[in-house]
This record gives sequence, structure tokens and C-alpha cells, in this order.
Amino acid sequence: MRIAIHHRLSITPPPGTVHALMQLLLTPQSGAGQKVESWSMDMPGLDNAARFTDAYGNIMHLVNQSRPEGELVVTVDGVVETMDNHGVLGRIGGEPVPALFKRRTQLTQGNEEIFGQFKGSSVNRLDVLHRLMAAVMEALVPEDAAAEPVPEGSEPNQSMSAAGMVQKMEGMTQSGGDVLTQVAESEGASIKSLPLASEFAHQFIGAARALNIPARYVTGYLADEGGSAALHAWAEAYDDRLGWIGFDPMLQLCPTEQHVRLAAGLDAHTTQPLRAVPLGDGVRILGISVAPAA
Amino acid sequence: MADTAPFDEMHNPDGSVREPYRVLAEWLAEQPEQALPLMQSDAEAIFRKLGITFAVYGSSEGTEKLIPFDVIPRIISAAEWRRLSKGIEQRVRALNAFLYDIYHRQEIIKAGRVPEQLILQNEAFCPEMMGLEPAQGVYAHIIGVDIVRVGPDDFYVLEDNLRTPSGVSYMLEDREAMMQLAPDLFHRSKVAPVETYPENLRRTLESVAPAGAGSSPNIVVLTPGIYNSAYFEHSFLADQMGAQLCEGPDLFVDGGKVYMRTTTGPTRVDVIYRRIDDDYLDPLTFRHDSMLGVPGLFNAYRAGNVTLVNAPGTGIADDKAVYTYVPDIIEFYLGEKSLLNNVPTYNCTDREQREWVLANIGELVVKEVHGSGGYGMLVGPTSTRAEQEEFKARILARPDNYIVQPTLALSTCPTYVNNGVAPRHVDLRPYVLVGDQVRITPGGLTRVALKEGSLVVNSSQGGGTKDTWVLED
Repeated sequence: MRIAIHHRLSITPPPGTVHALMQLLLTPQSGAGQKVESWSMDMPGLDNAARFTDAYGNIMHLVNQSRPEGELVVTVDGVVETMDNHGVLGRIGGEPVPALFKRRTQLTQGNEEIFGQFKGSSVNRLDVLHRLMAAVMEALVPEDAAAEPVPEGSEPNQSMSAAGMVQKMEGMTQSGGDVLTQVAESEGASIKSLPLASEFAHQFIGAARALNIPARYVTGYLADEGGSAALHAWAEAYDDRLGWIGFDPMLQLCPTEQHVRLAAGLDAHTTQPLRAVPLGDGVRILGISVAPAA
Repeated sequence: MADTAPFDEMHNPDGSVREPYRVLAEWLAEQPEQALPLMQSDAEAIFRKLGITFAVYGSSEGTEKLIPFDVIPRIISAAEWRRLSKGIEQRVRALNAFLYDIYHRQEIIKAGRVPEQLILQNEAFCPEMMGLEPAQGVYAHIIGVDIVRVGPDDFYVLEDNLRTPSGVSYMLEDREAMMQLAPDLFHRSKVAPVETYPENLRRTLESVAPAGAGSSPNIVVLTPGIYNSAYFEHSFLADQMGAQLCEGPDLFVDGGKVYMRTTTGPTRVDVIYRRIDDDYLDPLTFRHDSMLGVPGLFNAYRAGNVTLVNAPGTGIADDKAVYTYVPDIIEFYLGEKSLLNNVPTYNCTDREQREWVLANIGELVVKEVHGSGGYGMLVGPTSTRAEQEEFKARILARPDNYIVQPTLALSTCPTYVNNGVAPRHVDLRPYVLVGDQVRITPGGLTRVALKEGSLVVNSSQGGGTKDTWVLED
């Protein structure tokens, strides 16, 4: 599926800022599940930016602005061709060793209620991961609110559009707003309300790591035929045979051709699409459209 | 080890003087009665003039103190030093290889030689360093290895300080003072110079400049500021090297490169000898609330446009729990047996070891895994019952937070105390520089426990320093 992405976000440094620094993780890479056909980014100061690979294998830009005035707008445009590989990404050269993604962080402590039942389980890793995905849903969404629980072993329900499901999910739980915006206060435990998709992903990752399975946090876009769209977050876990495999615990499926992968890291904190000093009032999403491309 | 008499570095067991101390012994015997007390008060005047003070954290009466200096030098023979420095070089090479591996392919974990948990879940492990290629492959450029001696050929490494070891200015000033105080003694001995340290530091820093920095890279010393306990040392070293001393706000990142604000406009910076802790280096990557660091600095480093000395994340190699694996680390990367001893260390998370520790706590040393400066430690033989009970409770509450070692009989050196010369326990911190080559300054900082019988040499706990002489052949 060819997907056209248009994404605008901004940050407003406080008045009087002498020097603003921004770090961008907004450049997708081609891989097993997607091919980036075109990608362009625009913002003040980008010509002068440093572009490099971060610790997790993502393409990062470091942009600075002297005496910024008002809002700094970042515009991203691109076309990505996606393939449905049942979430299997395999092993990618140049990435850090998978074991790195066993490191527990403040955001991925793991909930014993979720992973406890799988401790010492002799079931193969892939089955454990699929069941873990269901267990995260059970733990986060009260049973009576769950629309159609996914029976164990059956194909995930794909009849509803992905974005529609996101909206539905938001109705079922208390948190609303953007599915994924900047994690405002990045000092560990003081993170107040995390976006919903992050919550699902972190629970899955924390549980996988507690079971000694490397798992990482992924940011990306989610598209569907109806043209509704969202910034999204999901997880990837490592299997010695298949390599990295995507799991979207919020949608209860492995990433499909509606998922466009942006960046991966230890958790939402290390994977923020836009990080800035000074942060001002935080990052605002000005507009986003993720639609099938002609 | 605890029940044998400590090794006296000056005397043989029969009371005769050991060869390295022969000249000193003769000189001491020649001194008139009032010479040493006079030297001692002269020394104080010299240090006051130099302005060397250190801050004692948590002390109520004035925070600035003069570190006590002992006028009798500690002496190491050329042969002893050759052995010692070979062992130190082996250690720092292995630890740098370990850091490279841990932040790349982690072969040592895959080989099962160090436990995965110990590294990956360690607070001192810095995931942001993964895959980064530091210049010359060096992470820890400036190292202070804490060594104690328990016998003629028996040296133990207590700690490898790979973060930002301090104290090198004392080594230099102690020598300076000693040369003024006892020029005649100097004249009679062939002492290896330590004054080359600043020049060697500069060469080391130049050798790890990023590619494209040119033949004379711009080096700066980054300090947290005048309230830091080691501020004197920061300004001293910058001055000695002819480098700029700067604070976070003096630097900024533009286009992924680091610049220093000067009166004539921005100047590109290539190498930063930073005396700011990892967490505070860069609010964009590390602690968001840091006012000391430079936003974007870590990314500029990541992009290969500046070198940070030492690299962030070196703490994983001097972690007290990782310490116990250093002999394995040396064998794994160099295929050699460790030349210097590691102090046997008991692991309190192991039930059997813990029970043995609790039963024998009166003979052991207990240290906090992340402690330093002699704070939060128990020296069994000199502790009270109440202190022992308190540490037992602490170990039971958090067994993973403590390591336990036998009490080492630290060697003694003659020291001027209370109108006389008496043996006092000492340790040694040699300073090592790693860049295009390994440069070890002969000698280092000798710390001496001035209280009779005390084994705690930390300046924060009433320790002093001595000039350390390595004799040349």
C-alpha cells in the first residue's frame, strides 16, 4: 500500500530564548515492511542541521535556532510503500544488539499481573508474545468495555479500520487527546499522562523484558482507507529465529500495511519525535494526514 | 590478611632500612630537631599561597579546608614501579576494550563471562553510547587507579576510577612544595618527574580530537563552576595546559558543532575535558533540568564533531560490582593473566556469602556499591558494635547495595606526626592517560591516614597526602 504522509508539528520556545536546540526523530527508513519512496522535512535551521544515527539505529537531526521568534514549525511530507509481512522485520544490519532492549526503564517496569502467568512457560516465544498482547488488553481495558475480545489462537479482528479502533479505544479508557505527542516531562516517574498507545506499548515491552525477551518501543503513523490517521506507537519483540517482529497491543495485531514505522528505542522517552531545549509549552501537533497515495 | 603486621615500606622486618629509602633515612638522621616541624609549617604556608583547598560535603564548620600535607616523601624503586605500571597499563587497556565491546557487540556477555543483568540493568550503563565510535576507540582517557600495597611484591587494586578522577593537582603541588622544602634531599636522589603531566594531558587530548580538527585542536576544560569541590583543580589544569576553562553557558552547539563564546566571536571547540557528571552534561539527552551542561552537546559528540573526555558511560567499567570481573575482563580481551591483584569481594546477594559476612563483619570492610569518598562505609576492625549492627541491618535490607571485602593491611610509610616520625597507612593513586598511547605519570598521589591505626585515607575523612617519588635507575 502506498501511503502519503503530511505532518506538521511545532514548538514555541519561551520569549527571550537565546539558543533553541531541537532533536528530531522524524525520518523513516526502508526495511522489510516498508520502502520510503520520498521524504522531505522542513523547518527553520534545517539546512545547517547535523544528521546522524542515534544509539538505537534511527536517523536523527539536531537543529538549532538563535533567538527564535514565536512558533517553530516542522513540516514532514513523504510517500511510503508498505508491505504486510505479518509484522516480521527480521534482523537489520547496523542496529544495536537485541539484548540492549532487555534493559528496564522507568516506563517499562513490567506488570507482574501481565507477565506472571508466562514465567517459566514452555510455550514457544512467538505464542508467548501473542498471548502477552492479549494479556495487556485484558489488564488495561475492563472486560465489559472490550468490544470483541480476540479469542486465543484466532486471527486478529481486522474488520474494523485501524484508526476507527484507535478512536473506539480512546472512548473506552479515560485518556484522550493525541495518541502520541511529546512526553512532556521526561524525568522518569514524573511523566504524568502518557498517550494511550504508549501505555499499551510500554506494558507489552515491560512484560516481555521481564520474561527476558528483548522488546523495543516503536513510533510511527497509522493510516486507513477512510483517510483518518494518527501518530501511533507499538512494540517490537525479538525472536532468535525470525528477528524483530512487530506487535501492536492497542490494536491487538501485528503491524499491517497501515503501519508506517518511524523510529525505535527503549521507550517513549528515548523515541520522542521532537525533543527541545528549552521546551516551552511543549510540542503541538498542527496537522496530520496519512492517506493512501494515488 | 588482617592478622599479619602491615608492610613497612621503609624498614625490613629486621629493622634495617630498605634500599629505596636509604637516602631518605640518612637525610632524616641528619636533620636537626626543629627541621621537620619547621618544614611542616612552611608547607602550610606554601599551600595557603597556592590556594589549594577542598570542600567537605556535609561539614557544618566552614566548607573550605586545606588538605594536610606530610613532608616525608613516599618512595618507590624503579623496579617496583616498572612492575606496577605494567599492571596498570594492562588494566586500562582491558577496561577500554571492555567499554568498546559493551557499547557495541557485547561479545563478553554473549560468551557468558560477565552476567548480562549486571551490565544491561546497571545504572552506570549508558544506552545512549551504543554504537558510538570514539576517536582512537578510547572511552576512558583519564584514569586514577587506587592501589594499596600489602607486601614487597603484593599490590591490590581497590578501585579503577574511570569517571572523572580528581586529585592530580595535589600530585603536582605536592611535588612543587617538596622541591621547595627539601632541595638538598632532591639533589641526592634521582626522582622521576611528574611535572610532565599537564603536557602529557594536552598531548593525550590532542590525540583524540575528532577527524578534521586540524593539527592544533582547540581544547577546553568544562567545569560545573566555582562551587564544585574540585574547582581549583579544574582551573589549575586548564591553566597548566594552556586551555580555556569554561562553564556550560560559555559553550553552544550550532550546526551540530560546538563553539565557545569569546570576545572576538565564536571559536570552534574540538575536545572537551569535562568535569561535569554524565547526567548533567546535556539537558537535551540526559537530565532535562541540568543548568550546568550544554544543550545538544551529546548529539554533537554522536555526530563525530567533538570529543568528550572521558566518554559518558565509562562508569560501567568502574562499578563496584563489575570490579570483581576485572581479572576475567583482562583475560577475555588481552588473553593475559591479571598482573595486579583484585581484592577478593563477597557478594551479599548470595545467601551463603551473606551469612558468612554477617558473622564476620568485625573483620571486613563494607562499601556501598555506588558510594565514594569514604562515605557510607564500615571498616570492621575499627568500628563499634553499634555501627556493625547498623551495617548488618543495612545489608539485610538491601544486599545488592553493598560489597564486602577483607580488611587489607595497608602498607605504612614514615610520616611526621605529633613531633615525631611514625608509620602511617597509605594508598596510591597513579594517574593514567590513554590516547594514541598509554602515558602513566611515575608515582601519583599518595594518601595517608594521619590517625594512628586508621585505614581510611580519604581527605574527607581526615586523610592527608604525600609527595610520591619513583626513583630512576
